[in-house]
Amino acid sequence: MKFKRTSMVVAAVAAVTTALSGCATGASDVVAGSTISVAWNQAFYSANSATSNGNATANNNILYLANSGFNYYDAEPKLIKNEQFGTYEKVSDSPLTIKYTVKPGVTWSDETPVDAADMMLAWAANSCNFNNVEPAYDEVTGEITNQDELDAGVFFDSVSCGGDLSLITKTPTIGDDGRSLTLVYDKPVVDWELNFGIGVSAHVTVQQAFKDENLSAADAKKKLLDAIAANDSAVLAPIATAWSTGYDFMDMPEDKSLVVSNGAYVITDLVKDQYVTLTARKGYTWGPSPKIEKITVRIIADPLAAVTALANGEVDIISPQATADIVTALEASDVTSKGITFASTPDSTYEHIDLTFNNKGPFDPATYGGDEAKALAVRQAFLKTIPRQDIVDKLIKPINANANVVNSQTTLPGAAGYDEIAAGNGSSEYAAVDIAGAKALLAKAGVSKVDVKWLYGCSNTRRANTFALIQESAKKAGFNVINKCDENWGSLLGSGTYDAVEFAWQMTSLGVSGSISTFQTGNGNNLNGYSNAKVDAAYESIQTEMDPQKQIALKLAAEKEIWADAYGVTIFQFPGVTAWNTNKVDGVVPAPLAPMFFWNFWEWTAKGNAVQG
Amino acid sequence: MNTFLSFILKRLGVTLLVLFAATYFMYVLTAYSGDPLEDLRTSTARNKEEQIARRVEQLNLDVNPFLRYFIWLSGVLKLFIGQFDLGKNLNGQDVTGLVGAAISSTLQLVTTATFIAITVGITVGILTALRQYSRFDYSVTLIAFVFFSLPVFWVAILLKQYLAIGFNDFLQNPTVEWPALVAIGIVSGLFWAGIIQGNRRKLIIVFATAFIGSAALVYTLVAINWFNQPGIGIIGGAVIGSGLALLVTAVSVGLENKRARNLALVQVAIGLVIWVPFNLVSLFVSPILLVLIFIVMTLIGWAIGFFFGGDDKMAVARTTAFAAFAMTAVIALDRFMQAWKPYSESSFINGRPFATVGSQTPNLVASFWVQGVDSFTHLLLPTLALLLIGFAGYTRYARASMLEIMNQDFIRTARAKGLNERTVVMRHAFRNSLIPMTTLVAFDFAGIVGGAVITETVFGWSGMGSLFVESLKRVDLNPVMGFFLITSLVALVFNLIADIVYSLLDPRIRVS
Repeated sequence: MKFKRTSMVVAAVAAVTTALSGCATGASDVVAGSTISVAWNQAFYSANSATSNGNATANNNILYLANSGFNYYDAEPKLIKNEQFGTYEKVSDSPLTIKYTVKPGVTWSDETPVDAADMMLAWAANSCNFNNVEPAYDEVTGEITNQDELDAGVFFDSVSCGGDLSLITKTPTIGDDGRSLTLVYDKPVVDWELNFGIGVSAHVTVQQAFKDENLSAADAKKKLLDAIAANDSAVLAPIATAWSTGYDFMDMPEDKSLVVSNGAYVITDLVKDQYVTLTARKGYTWGPSPKIEKITVRIIADPLAAVTALANGEVDIISPQATADIVTALEASDVTSKGITFASTPDSTYEHIDLTFNNKGPFDPATYGGDEAKALAVRQAFLKTIPRQDIVDKLIKPINANANVVNSQTTLPGAAGYDEIAAGNGSSEYAAVDIAGAKALLAKAGVSKVDVKWLYGCSNTRRANTFALIQESAKKAGFNVINKCDENWGSLLGSGTYDAVEFAWQMTSLGVSGSISTFQTGNGNNLNGYSNAKVDAAYESIQTEMDPQKQIALKLAAEKEIWADAYGVTIFQFPGVTAWNTNKVDGVVPAPLAPMFFWNFWEWTAKGNAVQG
Repeated sequence: MNTFLSFILKRLGVTLLVLFAATYFMYVLTAYSGDPLEDLRTSTARNKEEQIARRVEQLNLDVNPFLRYFIWLSGVLKLFIGQFDLGKNLNGQDVTGLVGAAISSTLQLVTTATFIAITVGITVGILTALRQYSRFDYSVTLIAFVFFSLPVFWVAILLKQYLAIGFNDFLQNPTVEWPALVAIGIVSGLFWAGIIQGNRRKLIIVFATAFIGSAALVYTLVAINWFNQPGIGIIGGAVIGSGLALLVTAVSVGLENKRARNLALVQVAIGLVIWVPFNLVSLFVSPILLVLIFIVMTLIGWAIGFFFGGDDKMAVARTTAFAAFAMTAVIALDRFMQAWKPYSESSFINGRPFATVGSQTPNLVASFWVQGVDSFTHLLLPTLALLLIGFAGYTRYARASMLEIMNQDFIRTARAKGLNERTVVMRHAFRNSLIPMTTLVAFDFAGIVGGAVITETVFGWSGMGSLFVESLKRVDLNPVMGFFLITSLVALVFNLIADIVYSLLDPRIRVS
């Protein structure tokens, strides 16, 4: 794990730099005239990525450059606090009370201070607690039928509706001269640290909502706070509309207030489907100073086109969708001779195989008259035939030579606790193919000739290849794996029409609650009817367990049961590739979680084009 | 004329029916091609259910596609009350806006290529027909079939590798080795020997001349670093302008018309006179002004031909107008070339002018001429890729059409009347050979709007093609339908136009 070590060093360096730049307030390391060009595969289209429509990586990456947050993920991945921007502390465990404080002097790019009003808007919008109307659609025409109601009512179209923030029903309190906000959760929420951040500014949102009134920034903030205090729908309704749709634009807006940001960069140019340019902001001191004056993110959808553009010097960093072809192209001598290097890193999406417990199939105890032990033996036997290492070697290693089999159902490799969990959860039972063992288990169970209906997306070549490898291996132990691939596999999940399925979960954070819904009895992502009282209990306690070390212990306890029950197996993380031109940029470190390689943009330095003509 | 009107109405009716059936099939097929909720289903977000519910509601995914089509159709039909609505994509963006932007981007990419392909293709096709079974004919046939059978993605990648990356590398330090010079000479020699007719002795002379000429030209251009600071110069302008003037005269009225020839050369002289003043004021020239200059110069050329043309003043005026236009183009080309060096050396380009992706260099703010060069460097590769493949087809069609005409009785009659060969070819044969081509051109213009899916993808161009492909991948129904509706509409309309124009052009074809 060479990559891991480097990233730790980088993280350490980052910590030191952070500390140092904290001392020298006001100093900026931006090299005038330095530029860099980065490729991404989708165009920016919304400056508010908290809305259900704007919530996309393409927007998040840009907004990460433009806005500061209370914390971010590094390459390890580990959650790092940015205490120069603001701090948060847990005031109380019961009820769970968190106080967020923005540092004095932190301002939006129009010099308006960042303060509690901005946080109040973030809460009001993302908790969705003020929403008193939902759009209704005509069954036949698809028209919104209650447009008038919708205009009068409050509808913050937030992607977080129904999430943890909805549990903060009491209006938060403001303190510290209007710089802090104290949130009180109705019930304990384990991932509270990941829930809250400032998105768009309160004053611009209100100004947008009441364009005719020409409100000053201070008046706009006051109007928002008053409306929230009084639960004044008439004022909140236009604010909600402005928040939900006002920040959607694909070309540089006429009204520059829409691109007001509170971080290191400001969007200064945006051309639809072409590029977005961000320029380093003067007077930014609440975070490590970036070195590059202008970052341009160009839109290149085709992975191979991104590689040629990199080789031709049109872009300096790319992160194309990783395939063996892309890696071959990046390894070609005429590409490497131009100073291009790449790092293969695992993504935060991981592939896994789940067995179905409740479809009267071979893995369902009901098939054997409720004989749990028999079904367990069949499941164990089947999982023993899955050539996990072989799949990684054949399908993933050509893309990422350092790829490893994933051995945890709950924790990403590299994240805190992974090694401990992987070592202790019993996944080693399925480390190698054990045909003899599988046969023995089947014989013990008295079952032979087992048909296994296997679901995956037909057009997904990698999954088709995995299926072929598994089919061949399982056959040796007497399993007849039947190809039940379907383009609509996603909608078939949980339908019981298959006995085993291969797909991937996308991890967007290191939050421990992500796997709750997968493994708890009857929860949303529990698609195979898995139920284990001990697992349920472990997850019940993890939801209120705030100590990271105890969280790991609980996850380990749950995983021990999950693996012992032969729930399924994890196989690999999706491989990712980040390539950059070492003649033009230094300091690029790929990371598995969003915002991917953008995470340490302040460490990027531009080479060779310091002065612009 | 009554039959004609009923013909058009009938065609329109059929067109609408076809459109309805096609969109219905497309809608249902696309809807069943995958799962638009796939990205949400594998999400581990706590409020996944809410997110899925919202998308289902927004896009009416709970309605069966067979019926959901009519929801979509009702938005389209609102065209008649001025609220044309193609729905929203998975990101909640208006499809109408997306398609509009994609069309303009696609037109920018494909129009030039199609236009050049048609012009060059027809010209070469007619030349091969006139020299049927000659060495030239065989060479062109061979080349046409080779290009015709090349896969466009492969051509595109080769172009990127050698023309963009390779040529940019060459520009870093332009030197040319002897083997390269010999290779250029051989290719050029074979090319010209293939085109020019004659016996073996002439063949050898042509080959040798082309060999030495090209090798020397390339060597000189490299030696003076022309590729990094290209230009024509006033002397080059005089030579090229005169050549074009003579060519125009030869095709238009024949070189034996001394008056026309001399007046065409006068256009070159006028061009040379305004050369320096034009360059002095060129920084103030805008695109519209440049078009105006072209129009004014062409009109002046026409007027000179008209007033001094003597007996056949219309023919002479036509010739001088073309000559004036060509000379203005030479002047403009030289001015664009002068913008090359500042463009290429700017920090945006860093000496690597030929681009492989996109339609513009980000953040470049410069004069019209430099912007023009920027468009050129971005359009060159995709245009070439489309051109090489598109032109081959036109060559074959034009050749076939011309051959058929040349064997007609009226051509023999024209010759028997004693008309010279130029008149027979240009006036009697060429025009008639274009009639069948109208159908082809109409179809191709319809194809333009559909975009060039592969070319757009490879060159990172966000036009109609990439809108279609990207949306299809995500089972994003509304943009796919927006694309399909617009392209099929354009295809059907141009189909109709082709039919109408065809029957108008060719009196023999009447609709029963």
